[in-house]
Amino acid sequence: MKAVIGRLFKRFDSEENKREIEEEFAFHLELLTQEHLQQDLSLAEAKDAALRRFGNVELIKGQCLVITRRSHPLMTVVKSLLVGLFFVGVLVRINSTERNIAHLGDLLIAVPILCRLLLHVRGLSPSRFLSEHKARSPLMLNETAPPPFTIYDHRKRTPVERVISDK
Amino acid sequence: MANARTDLMQGTLELLILKTLSRDSMHGYGIAQQIHQAADDLLKIEDGSLYPALYRMEERGWITSDWGVSENNRRAKFYKLTRAGRKQLDAESVNWERISQAITRILQTT
Repeated sequence: MKAVIGRLFKRFDSEENKREIEEEFAFHLELLTQEHLQQDLSLAEAKDAALRRFGNVELIKGQCLVITRRSHPLMTVVKSLLVGLFFVGVLVRINSTERNIAHLGDLLIAVPILCRLLLHVRGLSPSRFLSEHKARSPLMLNETAPPPFTIYDHRKRTPVERVISDK
Repeated sequence: MANARTDLMQGTLELLILKTLSRDSMHGYGIAQQIHQAADDLLKIEDGSLYPALYRMEERGWITSDWGVSENNRRAKFYKLTRAGRKQLDAESVNWERISQAITRILQTT
């Protein structure tokens, strides 16, 4: 029970989420560096190779943060309330015979739409968050995000890759 | 067109992760290693691209995560398949079979 409550509170803490993502990436990068060290690379070269294989750390961290923020329990409640309000507004608008009630319906339709737009503009849309993140990221390695994976042709390896894997 | 291609790739990556986690719970590095080994290095995955996929899958309830201790005594986040994830894996596998059969058939006839 204690663990469940602790977990719930942790989800509300965005700093904690950020720290956890960083710790998770650091662990991955450390193991990748170790893997490259075993291929007789120097520490600096191994770290560099690990970073290259991992991809753009800051960009990926930004993507993960957007997803954790999007799945935040509070955001889910707010979004559900907005959807609910919108449908109540539609129902009021359809069934209203009086002008004042029809206006109330309009208001109930307009407010959720405006709030949703506001959430979007405030940076809760992944694309906006990423473009901002990209602009200020000091660790930016590439201009564009890498594709999830590529088909690897052994015959087209670069000389360096061939030397490393043949060792 | 570019978007459609990206979606297909992401979906495929999720299928690979689901399949990898169907054997055991694993941390991100372990998942990447397993995929590299199983694909015999034919698929070159940007290791970092696994994480947004993992977070999305956790958001959808296909996997859960918990912090534990790794084989080298470090704190690491382990991912585990849920019942919904197992169902998704079955559905995605069937879908993948269907798509690959269709493409193979088209390539053979034209």
